[in-house]
Amino acid sequence: MQGDSYPENSYELFTQVIDWTERFLAEASHSLALDLELLYLNTSSVKAMMDIFDILEEAHQAGRQVRVVWRYDERNERIAELAEEFKEDCTFDFAITAVRVSA
Amino acid sequence: MDLLTLRESYLQQQIMLCFNGPISRSLIEEIGNALRNYLNGQPTSPSSAMDVFAVYIEMTQNIRHYARSRDYTEEQATATIAVARDDAGHYLVSAGNLVEMDDGRRLVEVVNDLARLDAGELKRAYKQQLRRPRDEQAASGAGLGLLDMARKSTRPLEPALQALPSGQGFFSLTATI
Repeated sequence: MQGDSYPENSYELFTQVIDWTERFLAEASHSLALDLELLYLNTSSVKAMMDIFDILEEAHQAGRQVRVVWRYDERNERIAELAEEFKEDCTFDFAITAVRVSA
Repeated sequence: MDLLTLRESYLQQQIMLCFNGPISRSLIEEIGNALRNYLNGQPTSPSSAMDVFAVYIEMTQNIRHYARSRDYTEEQATATIAVARDDAGHYLVSAGNLVEMDDGRRLVEVVNDLARLDAGELKRAYKQQLRRPRDEQAASGAGLGLLDMARKSTRPLEPALQALPSGQGFFSLTATI
């Protein structure tokens, strides 16, 4: 996933992603890696993302291999802070990687 | 129309962007894009620019959610939005809208309660709210907007509530970035 997310009703939008993640983890047995280049999230999108990380955490606790990589523009530490706050509640492999973006 | 007075008032208050009228979803996005473009042209760090944008989005979406929850007509659902700078170079993001007086008083109280919390307490309150089960009745509001704005604002959020002849009130909120 990449870019900004600030719909008025994030739940509606994210339900598809949440459903897909749940179905994938239930039906397949291989590992799941989430590649993120998210920028700005409004608070209801933050809540929806937390739901996704919770699902990953549950799978991880059940022995599944899950991994998140969140890349962000090194000039914008606000994104790193946002990612850090999600990471605090996760015990699986969660990398927050600064990327140098040429202006 | 006295546009010159309007213009001078904007200049004097260092208002960079101002809107007054019915606020639709697409308008929020358009004004938001204009705001971002403006900020990108300023010597403002990407983090601050994102904070200004974030506060603007939370404020305007809160106004839309509130107007919907009260079944306001388009005329009642108007918003007044201004982004200005203060003398110290901070950005001031303000938005105001019509409210029922009781709702307005409650809101002022909530905002004043937040003003008593320090950064750590605000973070804890934010995470607690994040973990609360979603209210299926609520259209979308995660109840996080005010907490998020309070965390991003370098000064406590400043609420204001003024009674109108109609019996309703005008509530406004200012965040400092």
